[in-house]
Parts: sequence; C-alpha cells; structure tokens
Amino acid sequence: MQVKKTPGALRLGLMAASCSLLGGRALADTPTPAPPAESPSDDEQPWQFDTALLYFKENQQRANGTTPVVSLRKDLGGERVFTGSFEFASLSGGSPNGAVPQKKLQTFATASGTRLNNPDGTPITYTTPSGKVVAQLATLALYQIQPYQQPIDPNYHEQRLAFDAGWSQPIAVGTHANYGGRIENDSDCLALGVNGGLSHDFNDRATTLGLEAKLESDRVKPPGGEPEAGSDYRLTQKYGSRGKWGNGLMLSLTQVMSSRWIANLNYAFEHQHGYLNNPYKIVSVLDGTGAVTDWVFESRPGKRTTQSVFWGNKVAFGSTVMDLSFRHGKDDWGILADSADLKLRFNVGSEDIYLEPHLRWYHQSQANFYRLYLGASQPEPAYMSSDPALANFVAHTIGLKLGFLLQDQAELTFRLDLYTQTPKYRTSYGDEVNLQGLDLNPSLRTVLFQVGWRHGF
Amino acid sequence: MASPCELLIETEDPALAAAVGAIVAAEARRVEAKYSRYRADSVVGTLNARAGEPVVLDAESASLIDFAARCHALSDGAFDITSGVLRAAWRFDGSNRLPTAAEVESLRARVGFERLVWDPPALTVPAGMEIDLGGFGKEYAVDCALALARRAFGGAMLVNFGGDLAVSGPTRAGPWVVGVERPGVEGEARLILDLERGALATSGDTRRFIERDGVRYGHILDVRTGWPVQGAPRSVTVAAGSCLEAGMLATLAMLKGPGAEAFLAEQGVPNWCLR
Repeated sequence: MQVKKTPGALRLGLMAASCSLLGGRALADTPTPAPPAESPSDDEQPWQFDTALLYFKENQQRANGTTPVVSLRKDLGGERVFTGSFEFASLSGGSPNGAVPQKKLQTFATASGTRLNNPDGTPITYTTPSGKVVAQLATLALYQIQPYQQPIDPNYHEQRLAFDAGWSQPIAVGTHANYGGRIENDSDCLALGVNGGLSHDFNDRATTLGLEAKLESDRVKPPGGEPEAGSDYRLTQKYGSRGKWGNGLMLSLTQVMSSRWIANLNYAFEHQHGYLNNPYKIVSVLDGTGAVTDWVFESRPGKRTTQSVFWGNKVAFGSTVMDLSFRHGKDDWGILADSADLKLRFNVGSEDIYLEPHLRWYHQSQANFYRLYLGASQPEPAYMSSDPALANFVAHTIGLKLGFLLQDQAELTFRLDLYTQTPKYRTSYGDEVNLQGLDLNPSLRTVLFQVGWRHGF
Repeated sequence: MASPCELLIETEDPALAAAVGAIVAAEARRVEAKYSRYRADSVVGTLNARAGEPVVLDAESASLIDFAARCHALSDGAFDITSGVLRAAWRFDGSNRLPTAAEVESLRARVGFERLVWDPPALTVPAGMEIDLGGFGKEYAVDCALALARRAFGGAMLVNFGGDLAVSGPTRAGPWVVGVERPGVEGEARLILDLERGALATSGDTRRFIERDGVRYGHILDVRTGWPVQGAPRSVTVAAGSCLEAGMLATLAMLKGPGAEAFLAEQGVPNWCLR
C-alpha cells in the first residue's frame, strides 16, 4: 500500500529517526574514558589595573603639567562590570589672559585671595553698577609683559583630583543599564556629576542602540571670588563662588558592518547654564590708535546649548586596525567645530609589539561674541571674550604610540603627540598704528608625552 | 572505514589535540570493529554467520536496526540493508566485469528487509540472507565520534571519515572551508563549501565503480532491480544537521537516479549534485 507523503516529510521522518538513534545511544557502552571536560571558562575576569602618566608642555612658557591616572576595571561575569578611576593633575606655567600685546610694557595683576579691610576689620565693599555689594581685594601679584609679547599670566597653577566610578549590568535579555558618578576638585572648582544609560541589542547583537543622560553641577571659586562679568579689571569687583549646571543626552547606534568593520554613530545634546565665564580672562579696550586704555573681565552668556554628531569606525585588516572618526558640533554661541581623527595600529616584528601613528585635524569657527579686542569708542557689547579657546582656529595633531604586550595581559605604552593650534585672526581689525606688526593671537604648540601601564590582578 | 579518517581541531595545545584525536580514532575503530561486515566477530558478522537463528542484540545494535527499518520505510524499500548479497555479483574494484542477468536474479531472491524477523531485541536473519550496515555505518561513526570529542573539547572541530564529515561549530576565523572532489579527477576540488555547523556527506562513484563500454556503473545498487542505479548523478553532496541524516539523504537521492535533484529540492536540504 502506497502512502502518499507530503514533500519534506521524508526528511522530517529521517531527522526523527537519526535523532532517536544518536540520542538514545547508550554512551555508557563505550569504554573510552573521556579526558576531564574543559569547563566553560569562568565568566568572571580578574581585576584590570591601568595607569598612565601624562606630561605636556606648551610653547612660549605657557602651561605644562603632569597627570597620573589610575583606573580599575572588574568584570564580575555575566556582563556586570565595575570601572573606577583616579586622576591627579598638576598644571602650572602660564595661561594667556586674553589681552592683546602692545608695543610698550604692560603690567597685569594676578588674582589673589586677600580682601581689603577697613581699619576696624570690616571688609571694604563696593557696589557694582548692577547693584550688588562685593568685597574689594588687596593689591594683587603683579607681572609685567614686555613689548610685542603675548600677555601670559605666569602664575597659572592648578591641582586637580578626580574620582569616578561606574557600573554596568544586563537588566533583561539584550538590554543593559549603566550608571556612574564623578567628583572633581580643582584649586578653584568643585564639580559633581552623575550619569546613567540604557542600551539594547538587536540582530544577534550586531546592532546596539543606546541612550545616555548626564547631570553635572560645578561650583567655581577662583581665589578672591569670581569677577562680575564685564567689570573693570582694575576695580576687581568680585563675588564669592558661583555655580554652573549642565545636563546632556546622547543617542547612539553601534553597528557591526562586516566581520572586519564596526561603526558607531552618536548624536549628543548638551545644555549648560549658570556662571560660564572664565574668571581669569580679560579683554583689552583700545583707543583709535590701538593703544590700550582699559581692561575688562570677559562676559559670556549664562546659557549654552551644544549639539554634535559623531561617526566612528574601526576596521581590521588582518592584525592591523584602523580607527577613523569624524565629529561635527555646533552651539548657540556660534561655534562650529569639525574634526577628523585617524589612527592606524600595526604590529612590528612580533605580535607583542605595536606602533600606532595618529593624525588629527580640527577646525573651529569663533564664538559670535569673540573679540580680539574692544574699541574704546564703541559701546560695550553685552557679551565679549578674548579667550583663544573661543577663537577661529585650525589645529593639527601628529603623534605616535608604541606598545608592548607582556605576560598576563599586561601592556606598556609610550605616546608622543605634537599639537599645533593656529588661529585665523591675528592682526588688527583696521589700520591702528600701535597694532601694526603685532601677532595678536599667536599659535600654540604643545608636546604631550604619556607613559601607560596596564595589568590584571 | 576503508577511507582516510581525520580530525581537525582548533587549538594551540598539541597535547589536547592528540588526546581528542585519540578519542575520535578509538570511536572509529570501535564502530568498525563492532559493525564491519568483513569481521566474523563483529555484530554483523555474527548475525550473518548465524543466519536462521534469533540473535539477541545490545541496545546500540537494536537502535541501528530500528533506524534501518525506518529508512527502509521512508524510502519505499529503495534503501535496504539486506542488499549485501548482491555484492556477490557486483565487485567494485575498478575492473570491468559485469554480472549476467541470471546471476543477478538469483541473488535478488535473497534480498528484502521485510523478510528479516525483527522482534526487539532479537533479530533473525533468514538462511541465505545477509545484512550490511555499510550504507550508514561511516556516517554513524562520524556523529558518534564528534559527540565524544565535544565532551572533551568545547572549541571548533571537524571530524571527517572519507568525505562524510561533521563540525562542532565555526572556527574563530569563520566557517570551515570544505572541498568536494570532482568525480573522475581525484584531488582536484570541484566545489568549495563554507560549513559553520552540522554535517556534510557525499555519495558518489569517485572511488568505487565498474566501467564497461564507456558506461560507469556506480556502487549504489537499486535493490528492486539488482542493478546499479542508472542516470544517477556522479556525486551528491548534502548538508544536514547530522552526518547520518546527510548521508542517508545523499544515498536516497542517488537511488532516485535522474530524479536526484528534484528529490533533494523537495526535502529542502542544501545539496550539490555533480553530473
């Protein structure tokens, strides 16, 4: 009797028959002893300890510093990971104060903390144009700048201590949560931050979507207090400490593009408000010939909103890895920032030694309230700053990293980077006699050297 | 197994490789020793020598007879472990001697799975008949050997007994790359396949055949006629979850002769038929 079979039924029947044969087979019959089964490697990883020492030096007696960093990572298995780091930075040297050079000697004063008191001990106060009552300060440390030199405050000194810790773990199949905090204490600032996020994997973990949020609060307390924005430099009208707050959100997409290429796309939104000035920066006020008549403290808006898009790629060519990324950002201060970064890591000689050359290009347009200087005859604008960091400039970095992979997952690295920042506007706006031949915003060159050491325990 | 047998294992530990290799080799020898028709002391040898009387089988052998019964039913009688007697007429050794029709007919009278008395766990092979598990013995050995190897090592392995192979998973660098020989030209791979999991089995006439008057007679015999299957592909390669399944599908496809490709398409398995 012929039984009609549906297509594929034979295969199903065959699968069932072979499964029952192979599955039911009494393996106890076999006398061959199996060697001890290799248990699946323990999920939990040892503590990983990472440390680095960074030394950097800027040209023209500007800033230099040493920063040791120690970070720890512990993978507790099951994708639960703890990370923590500790950083100590000691920076000193000089920092441009924002004033323009002149063809004559200039004298500036560094902020100090001493308040001026009346004979009876009460502080001498001054009422600002906006009606606030502030303390007057004692004579400040003076420094002189030679003709044609860029005014750099040589008393720049900062020591920073920072701690941060983070935790990440799965909360559902394919979903991870993370949260963390950071404390940073400088000589003039205390910052606290918290962050948290969620991510979810799709497509067999080939795609990951993430959302991160962060909150930050800073208390700025420069020696002597914070200057009132736009106030006369010589009058040194200062407040106590003031705060600034920030929050940010980032949406990210990570995608495995092929077996050799992984890409990451981020969109970030950040908002800051509060006292956003740099309390040390001033702006020169010049007369029609370009001679300085006054200096005022800078004044920045009390709010800043930034948006940026980042696209990163890691591509492997055998054992060589290329890291190529691009970033575009803009904010409501008028700054547009674009950068491209390329790293190429390849083995030299053996698999345990690698070299990683590094190239970076960065371009920034200036803040819409950035000025090289102000004209005495013009009304004082609401916002102004001569901080070179807000100027229009192009920066290049060229560097090389050498790494040695040692036993027990240890790694020793040496990194040297040369950074050059070239501002676009460096001469006077007009034909002011006293500014001809002066470089009003010189280039900055920085050498960075870092030694790093990592091992597990 | 009458074929080269190998284990490919992805590890940097030579001692481990040797140990797992020993496990695989031991299993291959065990299955051969237990089920080879050439050995008088094997289960098959014993059953054939004691034809006419019931022989009590152990659990493994009983499962194999059950499997043979299922395959016989699923293939509408085309697959038959009692077809071994036809061997007397057909010797596949590269010579060109063909049997006469009378020879084949007389042997056909002694063939037919339904004539076996299978009363688990006792099997009686009627007098004058023989059984032969060569139709799936090698594939079975591959699956068993891989299962034992997996208990000893969790990484990527490939067990290959003469072209019937199974893998435990992809290598760290990607799938295993397997070459399937071109019929008639040994050593020159015709197909290159990427295998990440499961098994591959090839049924074909590359090594065992009779050639006469320009006609090649493969070693797969159609039990219902007593002659080798006509119009079959030169080689059929099938990928499936286990080597047993892949091998059986390849054999059944060959038995379909000209209908090999259509049969495999119907069953929905990846396959490569070379003609």
